[in-house]
Amino acid sequence: MEINQSKTVEKDELTGDKLLSDHEYDNIRELDNNLPKWWVWMFIITIVWSVAYIFVYDVIKAAPYQQDEWKNEMAAAGGSSSGQSAAVSAADTIALVDQPSLDAGKEIWIKQCKVCHLDGGQGLVGPNLTDNFSIHGCAYSNVLNIIRVGAPEKGMISWKTQLSDDQMKKVASFVMTLKGTTPPNPKAPQGEPCK
Amino acid sequence: MENQTFYYDNKIVKNFAYATLFWGVIGMVVGLLLALQFIWPALTFGIPYTTFGRIRPIHTNAVIFAFVGNGMFTGIYYSLQRLCKARMFNDLLSKINFWGWQLIIVFAALSFAFGMTTGKEYAELEWPIDILVAVIWIVFGWNMIGTIIKRRTQHIYVAIWFYIATFVTIAVLHVTNSLAIPVSLFKSYPIYAGVQDALVQWWYGHNAVAFFLTTPFLGLMYYFLPKAANRPIFSYRLSIVHFWALIFLYIWAGPHHLLYSALPNWAQSLGVVFSVMLIAPSWGGMVNGLLTLRGAWDRVREDPVLKFMVVAVTAYGMSTFEGPMMSTKTVNAISHFTDWTIGHAHIGALGWNGFLTFAVLYYLIPRIFQTKLFSVKIANLHFWIATLGIIFYAVPLYWGAITQASMWKEFTADGFLKYPNFLETVTQLKPMYAARAIGGAMYIVGIVLGVYNLILTIKAGKFLPDEAASAPALAKAEGKRGSGEGVHRWLERRPVQFTILALIAVLIGGIIEIVPLYLIKTNIPTIASVKPYTPLELQGRDIYVREGCYTCHSQQVRPFRSETERYGEYAKAGEYVYDHPFQWGSKRNGPDLSREGVVGGRQYRPNSWHYNHMENPQRLNEQSIMPVYKWLITDDLDISTTAKKIRVMQTLGVPYPEGFDKIANDDLMAQARGIADDLKSQGINVAPTKEIIAMIAYLQRLGKDVHAAGMPTAAVTAK
Repeated sequence: MEINQSKTVEKDELTGDKLLSDHEYDNIRELDNNLPKWWVWMFIITIVWSVAYIFVYDVIKAAPYQQDEWKNEMAAAGGSSSGQSAAVSAADTIALVDQPSLDAGKEIWIKQCKVCHLDGGQGLVGPNLTDNFSIHGCAYSNVLNIIRVGAPEKGMISWKTQLSDDQMKKVASFVMTLKGTTPPNPKAPQGEPCK
Repeated sequence: MENQTFYYDNKIVKNFAYATLFWGVIGMVVGLLLALQFIWPALTFGIPYTTFGRIRPIHTNAVIFAFVGNGMFTGIYYSLQRLCKARMFNDLLSKINFWGWQLIIVFAALSFAFGMTTGKEYAELEWPIDILVAVIWIVFGWNMIGTIIKRRTQHIYVAIWFYIATFVTIAVLHVTNSLAIPVSLFKSYPIYAGVQDALVQWWYGHNAVAFFLTTPFLGLMYYFLPKAANRPIFSYRLSIVHFWALIFLYIWAGPHHLLYSALPNWAQSLGVVFSVMLIAPSWGGMVNGLLTLRGAWDRVREDPVLKFMVVAVTAYGMSTFEGPMMSTKTVNAISHFTDWTIGHAHIGALGWNGFLTFAVLYYLIPRIFQTKLFSVKIANLHFWIATLGIIFYAVPLYWGAITQASMWKEFTADGFLKYPNFLETVTQLKPMYAARAIGGAMYIVGIVLGVYNLILTIKAGKFLPDEAASAPALAKAEGKRGSGEGVHRWLERRPVQFTILALIAVLIGGIIEIVPLYLIKTNIPTIASVKPYTPLELQGRDIYVREGCYTCHSQQVRPFRSETERYGEYAKAGEYVYDHPFQWGSKRNGPDLSREGVVGGRQYRPNSWHYNHMENPQRLNEQSIMPVYKWLITDDLDISTTAKKIRVMQTLGVPYPEGFDKIANDDLMAQARGIADDLKSQGINVAPTKEIIAMIAYLQRLGKDVHAAGMPTAAVTAK
């Protein structure tokens, strides 16, 4: 086949753009257009950005890697929330009785506690909290303490890393109100009878 | 040169088209079932075969490999013959390609339902089916290259460049990522572990998107869009630049799936920058497509084929911009593990692949049946309902993703997580999940309309199995580059050299990223307290893999305050060295589990909790969307495999003592009795031989080794 060397340039009639002469594939033609300028610039900018990124992060290490980001974030927050006091103070012997506190306690109960002790505190994975028995002591201060420090080997986790002191008091106070209620399917008593 | 007459094989095109429609409907209906399980977890029906973790791989594989895969073959078999002015190289190979592929799909669906899975996303197929995939893929490539070689055109068109890149790259990805040592006919362990497995997997996973969902469809766009619009391609030069840039850059971007993970920082950085550099090469395809329509926009309003194409190409442009944005650390910190990923994936799958597939079907079915589309009105209705469906699908998920990510990260003034219970952040999304299901259902209605319209078109037409065409034979061309002939123009008439060059272009990135993880020790700092799993834990882990737990639970705590405060220590590369396969996950429908076994940790639950939770999650919390796993309680653990599993692990370098395989089951039973005794003390009577015991053993091991090291979180840092 001879290559057509004639100077007549074929043009696309709708756009007036130049058609490439021997480019035809199952009647598909191709235009001789250049790369759009904005597209070329977009490509160049992303390449420059990438080189700069690697240079800053991995060559001169001027930006923090993820481990340092974490350290900075923790430092800014004043450390982990697990640093609260674990001791029950003398002021912690009397349960809260005001309705707003008990309501707030109930809300925490629904979110965090009932997944083991069930809705009404009848117990399933965790012990029944409605009967007159207890593994860790029956008094409000005992309940608050076990919420704070947990009994990890038995499966009760320490909540001081997830609840504030105030929240733990509210939920402990709510737990005290469960005693004597009669939800369905109570778990058999565990621990010692309360005096 | 004399004109030769030959016949295009339309029958193979027809077969693939029918398969596309069939699997499309099935794959999407399974997707809808999954979407509904978010709202009504009872729809897992309490049996293994319909549980989320097992049918999610059926959905993803069906849509990717069955619907889009058959759609791709339909378009390639149609366009390749016409672009080469030749019938397919060999009819038998075409048939083997077709029936082999359908067989793989059937095997895939059954094996996933029965829990045979490698636990690696979009590569879940077990080794015998993997081998079948490789064979059939080579048959396809052989048939394609053969056709190209016996072509009657001097040069190969840009569509064929993309087909070639698809063939070679998928072959390399599939084989490399699937390397495994069999334990039995239905079970194997990948040769890679932990961080290495994660990198190879996401190098595969990302490039399956690139070379199975993107490059073949760009090829289809380059053929069908100018054909349907009857317009010349906007820029040949742009085709060249964006093609080579796309295939070279794409392969590097895999690590963006592993940002803020235990993957070394340098590899993460490469994942970020190569994703960002991909914007322009990806958009090159969109630009060349949309600008080809210059002068034909009035026709877009009338022709459903063009309408579908315009939305497809626009969706492609959107997701290829969104993807790089999600690959930056700032956005990824919010989007990763949330429904954002799901929304993003569906813009691509429903918009780009789904719409382009239907454009191709609406174009070629009337042609091979020598008729017109039955109803333009129904096609338009399909178009609008499916477009709205995509919007209803994606927008709620984006909304939900941002909502959930904010809830995960929110602290109270006292410095506590505002939503420490993960479930709260899921319950919040239920309305969004409902809206998503409606969007998905709308898309399916559109598909059904499409199928109906095409069936009536087929009924009205007369099939032309062998379509006559004629073209002059290909003149023997000079091998050397002619004077005035551009290098690329020369390459376009040398398909073998072209294929080799494309292969080299895609190999570079993979080699540079993956090899150093093996050769340079400091990339994965070892942790002395990390020990191999006990036989019972190993069996439990295999159940975890079998049930697809990774489809909803991650095992990768990111170094964010909001995650270390919720879960515990952030992930370290050294803790995963015995994980064949890795199980980091990519989406959190439930909480991360990698610190589950840390006694005294924030996520710790006693054995009895796990037992009750597997038996009936809703009893513990009625809002829970966790499926029930009752069969774990009733089914006996198969311990006949233990010895073989230990031996395979030893082959893979896991340091079990010599001869441990012989006493492994004794060790297993002793540990199982311990757990059964503990459950008994909680009033739960279950035999130590049940699967649930192994599952609990595995969950209670998670995270223990890292905490046993007593390390402060920052002590082990991989630079």
